[in-house]
Amino acid sequence: MSDSQLDLPQGTLDLLILRTLSLGPQHGWAISERVQQVSADMLRIQQGSLYPALHRLERRGWVTAKWGVSDNNRKAKYYELTRSGRRQLEAETESWRRLTSAVALVLGSE
Amino acid sequence: MSILSDLRFRVRALFYWRAMDGELDDELRFHFEKEVEKHRAAGLAEEEARRQARLAFGGESQVAEDCREARGIGLLESVFRDLSFALRQLKKSPGFAATAVLTLALGIGGVTAVFSVVYAVLLRPLPYPQANRLVVLHEGLQHLFNEADLSAPDVLVYQRESRAFTGVAGFIDQGYDVTGAGEPFRAQAERVSAAMFPVLGVSPLMGRTFTRHEDENSAAVAVLSYALWKDRFSGSANVVGRTFDLDLRPYTIIGVMPQGFETPAGMGAVQTHDLWVPMSLTPTEKAAEADEFDYGVVARLKAGVTMRQALEDAQRVLKIIQAKVSDAHLSISMRGLKEQTVQDARPLLRTLLGAVVLILLIACANLANLLLVRAAGRRREFGVRMALGAARRTMLRQLLIESLLLSAIGGAAGLGLAAAAVHWASRVLPDSLPQLGEIAIRWPVALLAAGLVCATGVACGMAPALASAKAEVLDALREGGQAAGQGRSQHRLRSTLVVAEMALAMLLVVGAGLLLRSFARMMETNPGFQPDHVLTADLSLPTESYPTQEKVDEFFSSLAQRVKATPGVEAVGFASGLPLASDYSSRAFAAEGYVRPQGESFLLVSSSFVDANYFQAMRIPLIEGRYPDARDEQPGAPLTIAVSQSYARRFFGGRDPVGMQVKCGVNYANKMPPMTVVGVVGDVKPNPVDRFQPMQTYEPIAQAAADLGPIGNRIGVISDMDVVVRTAGDPIALEATLTREVHQADPTLAVSDLQTMEEVASSTEAPRRFNTWVLTSFAAVALALALLGIYGVLAYSVTERTREIAIRMALGATRGDVEWRTLWHSVVLGAVGVAVGLAASMGLTRYLASLLYEVKPMDAPTMTGAAVVLLASAAMAGWLPARRAARVHPMEALRSE
Repeated sequence: MSDSQLDLPQGTLDLLILRTLSLGPQHGWAISERVQQVSADMLRIQQGSLYPALHRLERRGWVTAKWGVSDNNRKAKYYELTRSGRRQLEAETESWRRLTSAVALVLGSE
Repeated sequence: MSILSDLRFRVRALFYWRAMDGELDDELRFHFEKEVEKHRAAGLAEEEARRQARLAFGGESQVAEDCREARGIGLLESVFRDLSFALRQLKKSPGFAATAVLTLALGIGGVTAVFSVVYAVLLRPLPYPQANRLVVLHEGLQHLFNEADLSAPDVLVYQRESRAFTGVAGFIDQGYDVTGAGEPFRAQAERVSAAMFPVLGVSPLMGRTFTRHEDENSAAVAVLSYALWKDRFSGSANVVGRTFDLDLRPYTIIGVMPQGFETPAGMGAVQTHDLWVPMSLTPTEKAAEADEFDYGVVARLKAGVTMRQALEDAQRVLKIIQAKVSDAHLSISMRGLKEQTVQDARPLLRTLLGAVVLILLIACANLANLLLVRAAGRRREFGVRMALGAARRTMLRQLLIESLLLSAIGGAAGLGLAAAAVHWASRVLPDSLPQLGEIAIRWPVALLAAGLVCATGVACGMAPALASAKAEVLDALREGGQAAGQGRSQHRLRSTLVVAEMALAMLLVVGAGLLLRSFARMMETNPGFQPDHVLTADLSLPTESYPTQEKVDEFFSSLAQRVKATPGVEAVGFASGLPLASDYSSRAFAAEGYVRPQGESFLLVSSSFVDANYFQAMRIPLIEGRYPDARDEQPGAPLTIAVSQSYARRFFGGRDPVGMQVKCGVNYANKMPPMTVVGVVGDVKPNPVDRFQPMQTYEPIAQAAADLGPIGNRIGVISDMDVVVRTAGDPIALEATLTREVHQADPTLAVSDLQTMEEVASSTEAPRRFNTWVLTSFAAVALALALLGIYGVLAYSVTERTREIAIRMALGATRGDVEWRTLWHSVVLGAVGVAVGLAASMGLTRYLASLLYEVKPMDAPTMTGAAVVLLASAAMAGWLPARRAARVHPMEALRSE
């Protein structure tokens, strides 16, 4: 683990997963890899939090899971965003934007 | 939508958790493989790639657990999962599961069954509304008895004069020959006052009960029991108004009582009655002042009247009676009906309850032991699971659920066992237990059993669960899986439990031994006559056809002649009652020249009327003088009597009893005619042999009326006699002949109680046989459980110490040494248990005293025998593990570690 890694703020894990899945169905490992790549290695999702989060999202009906075949022909579980998941992503993205801009305002005012 | 999908997900999680767990495993494995692949692609060696992946992965079981939680595992699902896990665990060790379930089933089933009986007999209210307001009255006659029933005229006085009761009802059993309702038969009937049914508060199923007018005017009306109505009138709806004959007198049926209705019995046993007729006391009965205390009285307290006030009222009425009969000193006492009903059964029920509590304690100790052994054996497994990240809480919960599951299965098996036992008990229990028909498993019993199950499960499951949860992970994982300290303290606990089990089992074995010895003593007891080769039957001649004693005697002597003519028959005799059957009247006989010391009370003897051949038929030995014979049956013959040896010794002391005279009554100076003692015969047992035995007198039946002098006419005709036939062959073969002869003499006569004398004897032994049998089987169960306990501890300790044994053998111990050490361990455990049990027995067996016969509660042979049985059994239980210990192969055992 490098020093440049960031701790994920509370509640952002769901947002990251939903956002990643909005690009298309993915299995768990691909989700964590993608988040790591896109964030230029600054964010890394531990398996210990990834899978419970996926199961939680599935329970809430924001994602559905299907068994599929991965690129090297192995059975893998693919998660896909549902319609209510998409709405949830929009709502969460919106509130995240408002939160960060508000925090930025406070920090910038000094 | 979201709620719906959430619900669907949870339900799926609940029902498909096994499949979902599989999916989760697959998913996590896929992730892991991808991770390994990535590291490999980055140039790491296979081994290192896997190590890196594992590091990144964290505790697999922790992740799985978190996922399950995230999926919304409710309490229900986790319980479900734990249950299924527990089931799998139990399936893996069927021996343990079977032993534990059997232990519990025996404990719980026994408690429930016996509690059902106790509840029905002791705790459940009598089947009458507000039964606690019902009381029974008893009269006493100074120096003679304290608690008999009432005399007939006194019943009437109490009905007329008392103010504390809503009603006072008299009752007396009477048999009738029933004709005009199918085959003639002898009905067990009861004459009851018109007040009986209102006092009990029970209405008839159909029709009505007697009126006071019918009672006072000897109306020929009858109320049927439900059973008789079904059997003899096939439950016909228009039975009311029909007539049938009782002792040849036509009676009109006016009502049918509801199913299960029964009137309270007199002292002692509960009988079932076929029908009820009005009490309608005859003039003779009404005249029997201070005599024939045979009429039971039940009364209901008026609202607001206390027992004390009612007793004061009863004593006030007694003064009115006493004013009329100045020569007798009467007393009156009163008891709750319930108290009286359960009195006789109490010692037996207490013993059974005590035995069952002991069994339950043993069962709990055994279960705790089994769970402890099991928990100790699984320490390593728990250690591994903890190291893999399982929460202690989860493991505690699993252990608890496992023991609760065991308890539930054991409890269900126990309830099944209890249901079977209760069903069986209601058929096998002696009739002397009141309210036998009411015994069934009831809700309070089921609740009690459920409570027991839970308490047992939690108590026995929690202790080992806590012990293993405390286990340190490293300790548990250390080589061999046993930390010395923990092992030793657990071992001590298990040994203590085994010693306790042995001590409890010892108590039961001693108790059963005492009862067995009592039973053996009872069987050895000589009843004073020879019961083999004797057939008996009860014949009751109706007064209508046999109005005088001469007619009755004529019938019996001609019957005797006809039966005597049958090949193989040796003697035919008659008596007013049979020995062992408590079938006698208690009377006082004053002996000539005997001066009663100051303060000594009167003695009542068992009095029978017999014919000349009774003694030969019964083979009651003659000690002195002669048997009563044909001479005494001549009209106008001098009055004679035969007495038992005990009577002669008691009242004539050193004097020659033959030729001495006795009189009816308590005082020789009375106006009764004297009877000359012609013979002294051997003592017999008028009551079942384990009871109190009065002395006996025998008067020739032909002289019955004359013996009583001025009041002789009051006793009327003695027409209810037992026939006694002695044969050279099988008495049962004679049954048909006897019945045929009776019916040829009089076709309307019913032959009842046709049985051999051995059957009579055996039926009087039945209650003791039952007590003995029950306690012996309890002792056997207790012993079996205790032995399982010893075996379990030793077998486990051999497994635990295989390495130590191997080292000993490697260092030169012989197989014999090893075997002996293990066996010795078992005997020591047994001996300590026996010693503790013996000490406890010495304190507790005195509570059994009332159930014993000619055996002291501290009977040394019984105690010794019990100790030997237990020690031998302990040695036997130790033998198998000892053999296994001796078979340990040192090199293999040491290498395998």
